[in-house]
Amino acid sequence: MDYLGQLLANGLVLGAIYALAAVAFTLVYGVVRLVNFAFGELFMLGAFLTASLMLPEVRLIGMVVPMPGFSLPVAAAGAILLTGALGVLVDRIAYRPLRNAPRLAPLITSIAVSVVLQSLAQTVWGAEELRFPEFHLATLPPVVLFDSIYLSVMDLVVMATALAAMLGLSAFIARSSLGRAMRASAEDQMAATLVGIPVNRVVAAAFAIGSGFAALAGLLYAQTYGFAHSSMGFLPGLKALTAAVLGGIGSIPGAALGGLILGLVEALGSGYLPNGTAWKDAISFVLLVGLLYLRPQGLLGKPELNSAGRGSLLGGASEFGAGWLRAAFAKVDGGLARAAAAGPRAALALLAVAILVGLLVPSDYWLRILTMVVIYGMLASGLNVIVGFAGLLDLGFVAFWAVGSYLTSILFVLVLKDQFGVAPADIWWLLYLNLPLAGLLAAGFAVILGTPTLRLRGDYLAIMTLGFGEIVRVVAINWMDLTNGPMGIRGIPAPNLFGIALGSPRAQFFFALALAVLVVFAIARLVRSYVGRAWVAIREDEEAAEAMGVPTARYKLYAYAASGFVGGFVGVFYAHTQQYISPLNFSLFENILLLMLVVLGGLGTFIGPFIGALIWIVFLQLALDLPFVQAYPETRFALLGIVLIVLMVFRPQGLAASARVALTMPGTRPAKAKEAA
Amino acid sequence: MNPIAPIVHPTALTLHPTEPLLQVAGLAVSYGRIRAVDGIDLTVEPGRIVSLVGSNGAGKTTTLMALSGLLPLAAGRIRFAGEDITTLAPELRVARGIAHVPERRRVFAGMSVRENLVLGAYSRGDAVDIASDLERMVALFPRLGERMAQLAGTLSGGEQQMLAIARGLMSRPSLLIMDEPTMGLAPQMIDLILDTVLEIRKQGMTVLLVEQNAVEAMRLSDHVYIMRLGRIVHEDSGANIDPERVKSFYLGADS
Repeated sequence: MDYLGQLLANGLVLGAIYALAAVAFTLVYGVVRLVNFAFGELFMLGAFLTASLMLPEVRLIGMVVPMPGFSLPVAAAGAILLTGALGVLVDRIAYRPLRNAPRLAPLITSIAVSVVLQSLAQTVWGAEELRFPEFHLATLPPVVLFDSIYLSVMDLVVMATALAAMLGLSAFIARSSLGRAMRASAEDQMAATLVGIPVNRVVAAAFAIGSGFAALAGLLYAQTYGFAHSSMGFLPGLKALTAAVLGGIGSIPGAALGGLILGLVEALGSGYLPNGTAWKDAISFVLLVGLLYLRPQGLLGKPELNSAGRGSLLGGASEFGAGWLRAAFAKVDGGLARAAAAGPRAALALLAVAILVGLLVPSDYWLRILTMVVIYGMLASGLNVIVGFAGLLDLGFVAFWAVGSYLTSILFVLVLKDQFGVAPADIWWLLYLNLPLAGLLAAGFAVILGTPTLRLRGDYLAIMTLGFGEIVRVVAINWMDLTNGPMGIRGIPAPNLFGIALGSPRAQFFFALALAVLVVFAIARLVRSYVGRAWVAIREDEEAAEAMGVPTARYKLYAYAASGFVGGFVGVFYAHTQQYISPLNFSLFENILLLMLVVLGGLGTFIGPFIGALIWIVFLQLALDLPFVQAYPETRFALLGIVLIVLMVFRPQGLAASARVALTMPGTRPAKAKEAA
Repeated sequence: MNPIAPIVHPTALTLHPTEPLLQVAGLAVSYGRIRAVDGIDLTVEPGRIVSLVGSNGAGKTTTLMALSGLLPLAAGRIRFAGEDITTLAPELRVARGIAHVPERRRVFAGMSVRENLVLGAYSRGDAVDIASDLERMVALFPRLGERMAQLAGTLSGGEQQMLAIARGLMSRPSLLIMDEPTMGLAPQMIDLILDTVLEIRKQGMTVLLVEQNAVEAMRLSDHVYIMRLGRIVHEDSGANIDPERVKSFYLGADS
């Protein structure tokens, strides 16, 4: 009983923090229908700013800067105001230009913002933890309830603050004129404009309040656990989003309820389940996946029609951009359009160039890098099937990749070598069996996960896939017997063909190239078939596709399975080239990176993912020669994020958009002459 | 008996009697490469009902949206009450006295009738007179008075149209822009709405009306503009216009 009571008390404190951050997601979603993934980072910034303002001095970008040394309440107020202002700024720069864009655009932008903020925070405050200064209330003796449950004074402060903030916000939304304007803007932005509501300012207010709530949650979290760190916002951000979805996104009481449930379930789960603390991060996602099966609108949410924003990123040329920029892109477009018109000949020429490069590049170092380009290009192509061709955001793609890598590693190393003592060279053929096998296994996971979820709206699907990716990662870390846990699996054999070792970097590059030809050929066949036409119809307008008799749920499932197959397939080869894998290789960040590569190169193209991978990985290497980047390597990711935001605003269709796959009917050729004119 | 007197925005009363309330010169609007409205001139004198008629796709709704600031102009100027409002933000146009009752009503379905009306007065900012304006709206549309606490989405189509008009009047405009107020309504309801238009004009309101039903529009209006393919092809006072001619514009024959 005492134990239970203590767990409940801890759960309430955690739940209060989750609820506060969930309010941020729910408020902004309610007004602009955007899942702002960057709230996790604003949460982190709230913690850093508060801690910095409380200290006498801090090290920023390596320099010691004097700080005012405020007490917690003053510092917290300052941090909340600063974070709120930053939220407004982010909205103005990154989201407002995309207000009428398809829903995928701001969603991807918010992920990019998140990467930028996290990399910048790491640059400014460093990669180490910043200890959260002690507040004098925290030194008071704890309050003891029923002789056995210990609650620190700060725990009580956390709960009281959360309660007061949420009640205050609810009253504000229900009663005040600005609150009423927010609800009106949420319902119908055009009608709100016509009654004289400055909708942009109302949205900015929602961002300010939401960011303030995220900062408040973050500083309370940092206070409770005693530290601030640049990646601290990631998991709580996901949990808060989960809580918001759990309660019904858009509903403030729902966010409070969802946060509370999540906090309690986590506390009880880590207390009672065997090895519960290790699994507690998976619990909330399992809960989320389960709830979305049963009640997709959340506990207190209103059911919403399955109507994602119409139109895809590909069609809409941006209305922004200077003349010279457009002119430059027009040249690129012309060249790509001519190349696309050349069809198979251009593809063969490209392949010939790749083969020549493989033969002529002398350095093993650069061959390894080029192999990574091809691998990332293939993985991005797999993601492109679902994001670029079917128009659905998948944040769990990395899980399919992990399934493939782990399957082959477990079979080769943990089972055959360690259990049966079979030398990898004797069973070289297993690799070639594993390639399709892993693909099928991953596709199977995709079907199991996709069957119930693909009925959901776009952004719920994204959250669901994100949950799935996290579950696979947590399993990979904690199921020691199966995966070797965080130590990872070592000694995965290099590819081998009829006893000839293909371990040299040049051989691996050509192996990767051969697989890439296979992957691109298979995707191209699929996309050019009736399946691909159905995908594109869904991407452009799901309702219209449904009305024209395309069974959308089934074709979305095919897209998900095809994308999963590629992930598993490439994952096998990845494991054999790396020869060592661990759960760190399959983090959500890798997924975000792949997504960025696809968007960078061009959604819905065959060449785009490879162009994106080439640009990024070569840049990653070249930038290492710059002294500033050597000191702050994470700034490269900030740059990628910024490039992506700029791209989303000015050229949402990606660099190689003109290589977009034109739909053709068998036996006909699309009219290319007109486009060239 | 009639408490509805000061429904009109004060700017309309201080206006010099010879100056038109709304003056549009060379207005053009584009959707991407498509020019939906191609250089039109309009004049609306205070206290009049002016109609814009034409077949589907003529550019009527686009014109209205440009007037209230929802769409940017490709060319042209808009003067309202002696002031150039061409680049003014939409919410500031509401504050200057333009109320736009949009096509398909677009009431805030999840909010109560009262909240919809209160939001109509958002641009005024003064809490003081809102109660008396609410009473005036109830006098104009008694049906709304019975449904004050009800969610707007649960009203019938005709009641929603009444609410949309009342919401527009809550800003105390001097120009009421109405986009197809009779669309999809029962004949009885159409008569009621059009009678209301005449009633608010009688109280001094200026009305710019878009109507599919050209015959009704001509009967009601002081002045009629006929649009076709983004241009104004004919204009005359409502009484003078020849219905046969209108028909020829609708059917696409050249004049």
